[in-house]
Amino acid sequence: MLDITRLLEDIKASPHEEIVIRAPHTGVVAFESCRPGDMVSGVSGEWKERPGTLLATLTRERNPKPVTAMQSGELRELHTELEGKFVEAGTPLAVVRHFLSREEVISMLLKHALHLFTAPERAKYYFTPAVDIKIKTGGSRSVTVHHGMELLIMSRMKRETPVYYTGPGGIIYTVYFKHNQNVDAGAPLLGVCPESQLAVVEELVLRVQTEWKERA
Amino acid sequence: MDTNHIVLIANRGEIAVRIAQACHRLGIGFACVYTEEDAASGHLQVARELGGALFRVSSYHDANEILSVADQAGATAVHPGYGFFAEDFRFARRVTTRDRKMIFIGPSWQVIQALGDKINTKRLARSLGVPTVPGSDRPIYDEQEAEKIARSLYEFQLQQGVAHPLVLVKASAGGGGMGIEEVYDIDQFRSVYRSIRNYALRQFKDEGVLIEQRICEFNHLEVQIVADRTGKNPVHFGTRNCSIQSTGRQKRLEVAPGFAPADIKYDFDAAALLDTITSHSLKLAQKVGYDNVGTWEWIVTRDGSPFLMEVNTRIQVENGVSAKIARLNGKPGVDLISEQIRLGLGEPLGYTQSDVSLEGFGIEYRIIAEDPANHFSPWVGRIERFSWEPQPWLSMHTHVPAALDGTPYDIPTEFDPNLALAIVWGADLAEAKARGHAFLDSLVLEGHDKDGSPLQSNVAFLKDRTDGILRFA
Repeated sequence: MLDITRLLEDIKASPHEEIVIRAPHTGVVAFESCRPGDMVSGVSGEWKERPGTLLATLTRERNPKPVTAMQSGELRELHTELEGKFVEAGTPLAVVRHFLSREEVISMLLKHALHLFTAPERAKYYFTPAVDIKIKTGGSRSVTVHHGMELLIMSRMKRETPVYYTGPGGIIYTVYFKHNQNVDAGAPLLGVCPESQLAVVEELVLRVQTEWKERA
Repeated sequence: MDTNHIVLIANRGEIAVRIAQACHRLGIGFACVYTEEDAASGHLQVARELGGALFRVSSYHDANEILSVADQAGATAVHPGYGFFAEDFRFARRVTTRDRKMIFIGPSWQVIQALGDKINTKRLARSLGVPTVPGSDRPIYDEQEAEKIARSLYEFQLQQGVAHPLVLVKASAGGGGMGIEEVYDIDQFRSVYRSIRNYALRQFKDEGVLIEQRICEFNHLEVQIVADRTGKNPVHFGTRNCSIQSTGRQKRLEVAPGFAPADIKYDFDAAALLDTITSHSLKLAQKVGYDNVGTWEWIVTRDGSPFLMEVNTRIQVENGVSAKIARLNGKPGVDLISEQIRLGLGEPLGYTQSDVSLEGFGIEYRIIAEDPANHFSPWVGRIERFSWEPQPWLSMHTHVPAALDGTPYDIPTEFDPNLALAIVWGADLAEAKARGHAFLDSLVLEGHDKDGSPLQSNVAFLKDRTDGILRFA
């Protein structure tokens, strides 16, 4: 039986996440006016259409790329020693101490409540065309899966192989993989909610929504 | 030659290693790139040892990354290797026409544009009377049009007396044997077409498809062309036979020269056939002013009819096997990658066809972590031991650290599990085969996957195929 109270208490005891913001590609970095200790805001809006606080600009081939905070929080580090310098892809530029949002807490807890269908190999994953159409029209929760169902295409080294779902039947409650991004072996691809678990999952969501206090 | 150059190597793995070594031999500087997933590749180690700069990039496929790093490294030239940007005329044009211009080590962008596209090549070839494989002469995006072409190819084959006609459906933007399927039953055409179209869209972001007649019982031959920037004096470095392939039509074993008429009886005059394809290839090279290294790919049917398939406007994986049998003014030690760089930087060719001779036989083995018994599916895991007995007749090219300094190597899933190229030479066919066997027998290749299962490789497949090389199957 899922102990929602204990899981929630564990998260409350450590409600922050340190997020390292790295250069998405090479380029010459120019920092904005933010300084360590400042509060920054993350991506927001109903469709995540509002970018977060601008931290730096990375210029490559005369194209400026804004580097923004993806989550809200306190700016803990800013590598201003790199100002005006060429940086390689992946170079750490800043660290944000982020207080977990309600959605993130729900997502963390759902990983305990749902049946996680994990990646058999490090690869890129796609839904089969039939499932993909259903998800695009009705959302993932409109798709019911069952054991042995051909659900995904695993693509690695330019070869594609079908992936069959194993586990209890239910609806696809959460999709953890992103289009065209590699997923490590063992990482969750989908969270499937069996019908018998729906009540528990709904309770979990409700508890977080009422008990977790968001911070601006 | 002017050695004040710095070459940015816009590639990875074994070819990056070979380009770095070639630059070092030529006395010119170089810089390498790598991605996060590729940080353990041996090309980084070789770059460090040879004094090349290293830059971490977000992707090998991102032109902005490559050019940004090239500027930072002070590069005067970009070598694309093979794959990635090697046959991208837009990239070549950008390298050579931007504000800070650099040299693209490869054919000029106009040549890549003219020949790099399979369809343009067919048109040009036909205009010169060079035979090509029947099929669509542009990418097809419309299902009905595709089916119409497929049906006409079926009917054409039936009229030619072919009992079981076959049509090939290919991703237009594909290459290296990926994204190709055969259609045995024309009524199944639509489902195959859709499957290839979807695959092409996912892998190449272009759903264009080519429809071609499938020619059965053929040998896949290549002609190695080399030319300087004048584009007026191309020479060939002989032929290669690349017929031994995986089930997915990926080359696994290449032999130079392309046939052995002195040792094997063919149903046609093989020596004359080799002359025909080299002269056709040179004719096309001269026509377009070909100005670097490139490969003309041919299909040769059992009755000795040649069809030009495509031109690869790049250095190819298998260049080394041609170099192995080549002699310049009678001397061995030809390095086609060094030649490509030297000529790309503007040096004159300095020799003519009569200075190039061929001696003996070369066999190139592509050593790959894969399971030949299971459709050559890639094997992923850790390489723990990789060694062989050095021989004067053997060249090994690898980026696997286990072979360079014994460090275990986790094969990244982002790339093909190619481990090494082994090239053996023999004075005659029998000696080349015997040495091929001796090499494969001496090879130590061990590793395990995440479940502890032992490494799978194609070494047994290569051994099995060695005896039958240069024969029509």
